[in-house]
Amino acid sequence: MATTTAALTISSSDLVGDALSLTTTNTLYKAGRTIGLDQTTGMTKVYLTSVSAIDLFPALVEGSIAFTGKTSWVYICNKSEDESEYALITIGGINIGRLYGGDYLWMPWSMKESVNADNHHGDIEIAPSVATGMWFEWTCINEGTEWHAADLAIS
Amino acid sequence: MATITAALSVNSDITEYGLGISKSMTMNKAGSTKGMELTTGLAKRTFVNNNQVDLLTAGSGVAVDVTASRAAKVYIKNVSTSSTDYFTMGFGNASTNTTATPTNGDATAFELGRLYGGDWMLIPWLAVSTTGDITIMPSNATTADPMHVEYMVFFE
Repeated sequence: MATTTAALTISSSDLVGDALSLTTTNTLYKAGRTIGLDQTTGMTKVYLTSVSAIDLFPALVEGSIAFTGKTSWVYICNKSEDESEYALITIGGINIGRLYGGDYLWMPWSMKESVNADNHHGDIEIAPSVATGMWFEWTCINEGTEWHAADLAIS
Repeated sequence: MATITAALSVNSDITEYGLGISKSMTMNKAGSTKGMELTTGLAKRTFVNNNQVDLLTAGSGVAVDVTASRAAKVYIKNVSTSSTDYFTMGFGNASTNTTATPTNGDATAFELGRLYGGDWMLIPWLAVSTTGDITIMPSNATTADPMHVEYMVFFE
């Protein structure tokens, strides 16, 4: 069993009247259990040169999403050093937010199917704001990734 | 202008080679090197039933100042200790705050992920008016045994 811990410290000396310091740590477990997550996609590093949205992980296929409801944790980082360059994060067809240069996110992911019959499954998409090239890193730590059969046709 | 930093550290022996993340970000205004200067402060909310409700509503409250052209970050933590009880976090045109239940929640809301006891998340928030609500639904909250969440929004 693997042990994965995630710690966050948010701090500011001048946001509010007194210094702000928030620290939290958790251990990443399988859904509803105290057994550690044991699978990962590994850390991906890519250089994207198009503003087209892409899926970060293998596309979720209607009716066969094996790991829905299981635990997945996702890290995405915009490695751009230009503060004006951002990536739009979309999940299930809904725009979540923008990661500007240097920003990251850390969140759970349920790999849900669409409930709207609009084919907007829980795929996590990013769309760079510029096509001149942006660096990104991402990883998923989970109970399993839906790796597709070879040559699977996805409509 | 304030300086807010968020330092993430992930350590794991999940592979033979290990996996580590050490990343600090400064929360800046959209497209700027100037820091965000507003916050809700750390809020705590108690749930005594399993209704799906809005935790944060786009276009309302603090979200009035959160638009597509402005940056915002949201921190949310399940401060319960149970390894089996969780909050289902969602995004979308969410519940009505009073009528949505685990079985009839607005179908346009979309499940993002689950926060079990002690779990936390930090995400950007676009707060698009019709689909940008952040929804929450406890799995096992009762009056006798409520569930609690803490959250904080940083914005410009």
